[in-house]
Amino acid sequence: MSRVLVPLAVLEGESVSPGLVDLLAPADVTVLGYHVLPEQTPPDQARVQYGDRATAALETLTATFEAAGGAADSRLAFTHDRDRTIDRVAEETGSQAYVLPGIAESIDRLLVPLTGDVAADRVLAFVADLIGDREIGVTLFLATDAEADGRLLLEEAAETLAGRGVETESTLVVSEGPLDALGGRAFDALTEDAAAHDAVVVGERAPSLQSLLFGDEAERIAAESVGPVLVVRHSEDSAAASEP
Amino acid sequence: MDTDTPRGGGTNVDNEAPRIEPTVETDAATKTEDAELERTLGLAGGLAIGIGTMIGAGIFVFPGLAAGRAGPAAAGSFAIGAVIALFVALPASELATAMPKSGGGYYFISRGLGTLAGTVVGLSLWLGLVFATAFYLVGFGYYAVDTLAELGIAVGNGWVIPLALLFGAGFTVLNVTGTENAAKLQNGIVALLLSILTFFLGFGGLDALGLVGEPAAPERFAPFGAVPVLTTAALVFTSYLGFAQIATVAGEMRNPGRNLPLSMVGSVVIVGVLYVATIFVATSAFGSERLADLGETAMVEVGRHYLGPIGAVAIVFGGLLATISSANASILSTSRAVYAVSRDALLPRWASRINLRYGTPHVALGLAGGPILALTATGRVTILAEVASFLHLVMYGLICVALVALRRDEPTWYDPDFRVPGYPVVPAVGAVASFGLIAFMQPTSQLIGVAVMVATAGWYVYYARNVTLRGVL
Repeated sequence: MSRVLVPLAVLEGESVSPGLVDLLAPADVTVLGYHVLPEQTPPDQARVQYGDRATAALETLTATFEAAGGAADSRLAFTHDRDRTIDRVAEETGSQAYVLPGIAESIDRLLVPLTGDVAADRVLAFVADLIGDREIGVTLFLATDAEADGRLLLEEAAETLAGRGVETESTLVVSEGPLDALGGRAFDALTEDAAAHDAVVVGERAPSLQSLLFGDEAERIAAESVGPVLVVRHSEDSAAASEP
Repeated sequence: MDTDTPRGGGTNVDNEAPRIEPTVETDAATKTEDAELERTLGLAGGLAIGIGTMIGAGIFVFPGLAAGRAGPAAAGSFAIGAVIALFVALPASELATAMPKSGGGYYFISRGLGTLAGTVVGLSLWLGLVFATAFYLVGFGYYAVDTLAELGIAVGNGWVIPLALLFGAGFTVLNVTGTENAAKLQNGIVALLLSILTFFLGFGGLDALGLVGEPAAPERFAPFGAVPVLTTAALVFTSYLGFAQIATVAGEMRNPGRNLPLSMVGSVVIVGVLYVATIFVATSAFGSERLADLGETAMVEVGRHYLGPIGAVAIVFGGLLATISSANASILSTSRAVYAVSRDALLPRWASRINLRYGTPHVALGLAGGPILALTATGRVTILAEVASFLHLVMYGLICVALVALRRDEPTWYDPDFRVPGYPVVPAVGAVASFGLIAFMQPTSQLIGVAVMVATAGWYVYYARNVTLRGVL
């Protein structure tokens, strides 16, 4: 099974809930403890003062994942830029996905949005690998302005997962306007659905003007639903190409 | 925390040893045994730090003062400053790529020349930044008063110092509590400043060359002779202190082998060209006597001369932004300077503590804030600027010496990505010019500078004479 990166603001006491630990049990987990500093402070200065405390917290977290049966290791980073650090460490560890931890007691059903320009194949393969032979259901979600194409895509996706023994349902939202504008109908429908599920798996998108203005889509979903959000990364090639 | 094992040699009076740990440097991060330190600054960020620190003083405060001393040849003084800065920026770039760590000039000198030189430079650098910040704040005070005047509120120059003090205190508090990412703001300010200046210089330059507008009365280039050109160069050298600030964030710069030399040399070249052009345009607008009468905010009248009220408002606004960005960048650097020496046990370790709530170095910022305000209260623009230059020039000269010392018996760890062209001439010229420029300062400034250095050497003897840093990486 592939590697999943779990970035946590360790020094702010961010932790993982039992549902997420169970969900990630089949995966190799790298816990990335990070601490974001304002630019006045050299990262090394924070490491000198808080390194030990952070390392101790990370050991506890790593042990939690190991107790659930998976292999887990940890990295600790002091940074001015959280997203850059997550990107770099995910790249270096070859992680297929990273997690916005959220809170879930147990995870029985995943929401998997396929809206827009995401690598559906990678997302579905990751979901199937993660679920394995466990009793976890999937709701596929698609918002589109082309109903027929959308229905076809959902059917193909459902077949792919069914072929791996995963039970699926589908939600199709036909929308006229722009598909993922903040507060648009499609996004509202998605966050409503997300709140009704234990966790969400999304494909990473290239940064856009919209994500610069309103924040990353995955983070907006995480903010709206309480549960964990797993972000399946770009393939290595496209990730390297997006490096500024 | 005092739990991890230090490896540096010797201990200070408080029984603390330098904290030196093996690290692996990559282009994206510094990896220590237990943690990674992200490199987050790019080339644009480096240039913004350099230009943002430098531009406030050079263009917005000095033209009047410099023209009064040297006449139109003040442009030559700025050019001399730029050349000296370049001769130092090149060796500094080589050392920075060999040791891409926070601490900058202090780090190179303590590793290349030993603890005594390191202590003197480290503490002098801190004080130099304190003097520079006070100087920028006074400059800010003048522009604040002029801004009020443009808004129709004439308060008079009696308000310069109170306003400078108020904002100095404000910046200090802001730096302790502010956790927003001001780097992006700084980039924006620098971009805005550069566009204001380019527009102004483009128009003023055409006018000055006699292509548009009325021809100006010609004036002798160097009415007071050559010596004032050099003393003026010593005064205005404060306008070039920013490139060394880039070295202090070397540990946070991405792809340091490329970005450090480019941003250090690039920022000196960019601001050097801007300065020389500005002085040329300013001295073409008015005679140098008139400029001298206009004092610290002479540029406002130059703007009014070329572009009418809009020009005056643009320059006043630019001057406010530029002095703010210079003052703020320098206050930030003071805390890095304190951290660099206290990590090496040359100051008590508590001086570099940060608070978990804001993540800011509140002790170091507070330590700098008091002296900055005291110096600002004196309001002595030229003394503040010269002492700041003095203390930086000593460091620049020693950077060049450290480069030669390291190159002569190249240690195995010494592997810079960038090597100075024209070695050993460039560092030799850099060292001689840096020390030489000090000779042209006012006696008062020289006295204060020497007193600071003697005091820091005394601190070394009392506090840290058993600490060894030479060649300890």
